[in-house]
Amino acid sequence: MDPSSRMRHACSLALLSLKHLSLGVWIIVTLFAISGLILLTKSDRPSENLQMWVFSPEHRAMYAPMIEELQDRTEGDEKPIDLSLLSREAIKNRTMSGFLGGLPTADLIEIERAYIGQFFQGPQEAIGFHDLTDRLKAEGLYDQINAPSLSPWSVNGRTYGLPHDVHPVMLAYRADLTESAGIDLTQATTWDKFFELLKPMMTDKDSDGRPDHYPLSMWITQQDNIELLMLQGGAQLFDTQGIPTINTETNAQLLAEIISWCAGPNPLGTDIDEFTAAGHKSRVDGDAIAYLCPDWMCSIWKMHVPGIAGKMKVMPLPAFTEGGRRTSVRGGTMLGIPKTTQAFGQSWETAVELYTAPEIARELYRMVDIISPIRSLWDDPVYAEPDPFFMNQQKGLMFIELAPDIPIRSSSPYNYNAVLEIRDSALNVMEWTKNQSDWTDDQLLEQVRSQLERAQGAIERQMSRNAFTGVESK
Amino acid sequence: MMNRLSTNKTVFAWAALTPFILLFAFFMVYPLIQSAFLALNQTYGPDTRLFVGTKNFELLIEDPVFWTAIKNTLIYSLGSLFIQLPLAFGLALVLNSRRLKGRSIYRLIFFSPQLMGLAFVAVLGALAFEKRAGLVNRTLAWMMQDAALLEIDWLQEYIMSTLILISLWLYVGFNMIYFLAALQNVNNSLLEAAEIDGAGPLSKLRHVIIPSVRPVATFVVLLSMIGSLQLFELPYILLNGNGGPNNKGLTIVMYLYQNGFELGDLGYASAVGWALALMLILLALIQIRMVRKEEASR
Repeated sequence: MDPSSRMRHACSLALLSLKHLSLGVWIIVTLFAISGLILLTKSDRPSENLQMWVFSPEHRAMYAPMIEELQDRTEGDEKPIDLSLLSREAIKNRTMSGFLGGLPTADLIEIERAYIGQFFQGPQEAIGFHDLTDRLKAEGLYDQINAPSLSPWSVNGRTYGLPHDVHPVMLAYRADLTESAGIDLTQATTWDKFFELLKPMMTDKDSDGRPDHYPLSMWITQQDNIELLMLQGGAQLFDTQGIPTINTETNAQLLAEIISWCAGPNPLGTDIDEFTAAGHKSRVDGDAIAYLCPDWMCSIWKMHVPGIAGKMKVMPLPAFTEGGRRTSVRGGTMLGIPKTTQAFGQSWETAVELYTAPEIARELYRMVDIISPIRSLWDDPVYAEPDPFFMNQQKGLMFIELAPDIPIRSSSPYNYNAVLEIRDSALNVMEWTKNQSDWTDDQLLEQVRSQLERAQGAIERQMSRNAFTGVESK
Repeated sequence: MMNRLSTNKTVFAWAALTPFILLFAFFMVYPLIQSAFLALNQTYGPDTRLFVGTKNFELLIEDPVFWTAIKNTLIYSLGSLFIQLPLAFGLALVLNSRRLKGRSIYRLIFFSPQLMGLAFVAVLGALAFEKRAGLVNRTLAWMMQDAALLEIDWLQEYIMSTLILISLWLYVGFNMIYFLAALQNVNNSLLEAAEIDGAGPLSKLRHVIIPSVRPVATFVVLLSMIGSLQLFELPYILLNGNGGPNNKGLTIVMYLYQNGFELGDLGYASAVGWALALMLILLALIQIRMVRKEEASR
């Protein structure tokens, strides 16, 4: 048999065996063929429109009318803008995949602070966002923005995003409870005075084995609150060159003080979940008197804990030492423009329009209680409006007064890990206190020092693996 | 004629095998080679890389977090092996009994967590093991009449125990099905003969049932060990993407994911992947040896 008839024979054998395939196999093969065809014919060309990704429904609601107005103004000279709402995680993953794998991303992307470190992990020239520093300076925006609000989005003095917010922190407290107990909490200028004033409220009248009210909702597992308090006290986990400075004496003393609030048989702080129904119920029940409250937290309470409306007040944080800083900072968002955008000019104009417009700033405060980082907008009457949730306090003005004083934050890609190490250090020291019948402040401080030494080593080890950043450990 | 037929068969065999070979080469062989190459580099995504030789493996050996991940994964695997599988076998024995009424309903009930999916089970687990308000602490406090039990912080202090407990709920019913199938294949005449010889329930279990289900049990042990070593979704969702305090809930695959997809260092992640692959190969070799030994002893 010649080769061609051999091939014909093999083909007829194959066709014969196809006849015996079951219906199920045929269905699978047909589906495979159809889906394959669809995929092959589908265009993977990115949309021609300008894409913007946001993670907050409130942001989308605020931006949509402004974008519409913008487009009406430009009357078709520029690309239409598609505003998409994605989860924070999805934005982070899609943007990272885009930057690392060369996949398409949006032209304008809002990134939350918790994730920004990952974008700064590689060499500075490989950061996927445009360096906006020169633009910001050329257009005079750099000086208009609250200076410390630029720090989380800047690497070696170069800024990669427009800050969306300031997020200063105040102390929110159950004024109905303190006032009925005859306590004037505004006298608490330091944390020591604060706890001293509230100790009488820690009685156990309902005999359930726990104080009826703890002075502060704060626990050592809450890493964001630990970071917030340490920043308030002047701690820095990294220096300006990005070198870890976790094991400094200032950090040790601050952490020891924070741990002392939670350690021992009669802790002053309590563990109340910030975002769960159980936590919200605790807030209504008054399990804790005071809360560390960044501006954005106000809107979360308004939405989820209406039971405390008209019972809360805010005041500047008590300082660690008399005359010390009365605020801190937590969270944050930036708007970045990826280097892959084909329309940098329009993206920049849209970003500036959205982030500096007085209407948006006003809406931002009305909808989610967040104050704008643009200092020239702080005179807007919206911030002076009394807030019934907080017993008609002009809390906008109070937050603004503290805004310039928020601490500078590191943009190190290892900051998140460093904060987790601090939390673990605190947990280890707590574990140590549980095994002691009694301890002195000095012994506690010694434990904290040794834990921070461990944490410093862990972060240095992680950093030494990164050949790109060129940061040598201390 | 015979020669022609054999050639045709060979051509047909290759034609039938080609799609598989292509897919296998593309999706298995190429990534394996690529990951071996990646493990010798430090990367920031696929485009930025720096050849570092064996540094990733050297760092891995000195990396305490990696060893914590190994320890956690082994604790979980052993927990699965020594708690989950005996429980699954016990349940299968109970549900195989003809005297039990409504066996099908019970089987469905025990198997049902599998139908929900890992993510949903993790979310439910997080709620059930919540401090103060969680179902577990509430039940314990109510049963023992001790309010202090409300303060047990399962998700911070007892992470591995919590993971093992949640996976019990998830996988006991699944493994039970394998054992049940094996039990239903136990030769009845052997059981009857043992009964005639005066064997009690324990003797029958030891001398008839266990030897009969041993091949399936070996398979389930291997499957369970491999699954345990690849544990990812459950702790990832339960602990919000990080390893929990002091990395008490960090597993090997989570560490791989953190390095490769959160930090962008695909090189170090590949080194972690190869370490895991070595463990799995070792396990498979042990399994093959055990099976051969068993076959030889028959």
